[in-house]
Amino acid sequence: MCVGLSARVVKVNDDGTALVDATGARRAVSAQLLDDLEPGDYVMVHAGSAIARITDDDEAETDQLLEEYL
Amino acid sequence: MTPAIALRDGARRTAREVLTGYEGPRVRIMEVCGTHTHEIFRQGIRKLLPPSIELVSGPGCPVCVTPVGFIDEAIALALDHGCTIATFGDLMRVPGSSQSLQQARAQGAEVRVVYSPQDAEAYAAAHPGERVAFLSVGFETTTPSSCLAVRQAVEDGVGNFSLLTANKTMPGAYEAMSGSADLFLYPGHVHAITGTRVCEDLASRGVSGVLAGFTARELVAALAVGVTKFAVGDPFFVNCYPRVVTAEGAPAACRLVDQMMEACDARWRGIGVIPGSGMRLRESYAAFDARRRYDLPRIEGRENRACRCGEVLKGACAPMDCPLFGKACTPDHPVGACMVSDEGSCSAFHRYGVDV
Ligand code: SF4
Repeated sequence: MCVGLSARVVKVNDDGTALVDATGARRAVSAQLLDDLEPGDYVMVHAGSAIARITDDDEAETDQLLEEYL
Repeated sequence: MTPAIALRDGARRTAREVLTGYEGPRVRIMEVCGTHTHEIFRQGIRKLLPPSIELVSGPGCPVCVTPVGFIDEAIALALDHGCTIATFGDLMRVPGSSQSLQQARAQGAEVRVVYSPQDAEAYAAAHPGERVAFLSVGFETTTPSSCLAVRQAVEDGVGNFSLLTANKTMPGAYEAMSGSADLFLYPGHVHAITGTRVCEDLASRGVSGVLAGFTARELVAALAVGVTKFAVGDPFFVNCYPRVVTAEGAPAACRLVDQMMEACDARWRGIGVIPGSGMRLRESYAAFDARRRYDLPRIEGRENRACRCGEVLKGACAPMDCPLFGKACTPDHPVGACMVSDEGSCSAFHRYGVDV
C-alpha cells in the first residue's frame, strides 16, 4: 500500500482529478494536492493522489550529485 | 549504466565501485522504508556490499508497525457495530489478537478492499444504507489522501463515512531508532511531502542520513554518498533524490493535513508508544472519526509471543533469527505483520532468500 508510482499526466479534469499513465496502465487520481498540473507532467502517486511533481530523468541529477559529493 | 564519479587523481570510478571497494569503518545503515528494503533485494544491491557495510531494515512499513489492537478495533467495528470495513488489501491478512479481517469476513464481517480512501468515500456515497469505515493506515504519503476523502465526504454530504485512523509520522520513529544504526537511508516519498528540515535537524544533532530514490541508480548512488561521507566522520545529511524531494516538500498537502488532523500519541508494533507520532482527525471532524462516532472502547491487542517482529522492526534481529521464519510463518500463513505486507522485512527475506 505504501508503494509510490511514478506516472505521466495524460489529462487534467475539471473535477479535481487527473488521468495518469503509469507504464501503460491508466487511471484517474486526485490532482487536488498539486496546483497547475498539465498534461505531460510527471508525478508521484500514492494511495490515489498525485503527491509530488518529479522530473522524468534521474540520470543527469544523479551524476551531478555524485560529482558534488564523492 | 552506473553513475561515474571523479576521483582525486582524475580517474573515474562508479558509485558501484565505491561500494564494492569500500575500505572505511564498519557502517550500519538502516533502510527506514519497506519499499527500499524490497528494491535493494530485487535489484541485487545487497550482493554488491562488502561485509563492512551492513544493511538493517527499519520500521518503515505502515502495515508492519500497525499494532494488533488496530485489527481488533476494525473487527469490532464490523461485527459489533455493523460497519462495512474498507481497507487496503494488505491489511486483510494481518493477524489480530484472535483473527484477521479475512477470517472475520468468513464470520460475516463486511470487508471491502479499495485502492484509495477516495474510493472508500465514493463507495459510502453510493451505499447510503451502510456505515462505511476506512482503515486509515499510513505515513505522511497516505495521510493527505485520507484527508481528501473526508473533505469530499463533507462536500458531498456523505454522513455514513468515517476513518479508523492509525496514521503515523516518521520523525518520532527516527528519534526512537537513532541509536540502532550509523546512518539512515531516508524514505524518499515521505520527504516529498514533509521536505527535508527534519533530516537537517537530525544531522545537526549528530544523526546522519541520506535521502534516496527507488531506482537501482538512485539507491546505489545514495549508498555510495552515504558511506563516503560516513568515512569522513562528521554528521551529515544529503538529499540524493532531488528530482522528487525539495527542501519545503508539498505545502498544499501539509496544509490540508494540518487543517484536518492533529498529532496524537501512537503505538508502533514492536517499538511501543511514540509520543506525538500519530495523527487523528480534529474535534471539528469528530463525526468522521470511527472511534468517537461508535464510541469504541480501548482495545489492547495480544501479539503472538513467538513472533519477533518487534525486534525485526528495530533492526535488533534479522528475520532468520526468528524461530518461526519459513516454518510456522510464511507469506501464505503469516504469523506476524512483517510477513504479510510486500514491504515487510520478513516477507522480503523470505522471497529473495537469506544467503545475501
Ligand atoms: S518470521 Fe513471522 S513470526 Fe517471525 S518475526 Fe517475522 S513475521 Fe514475526
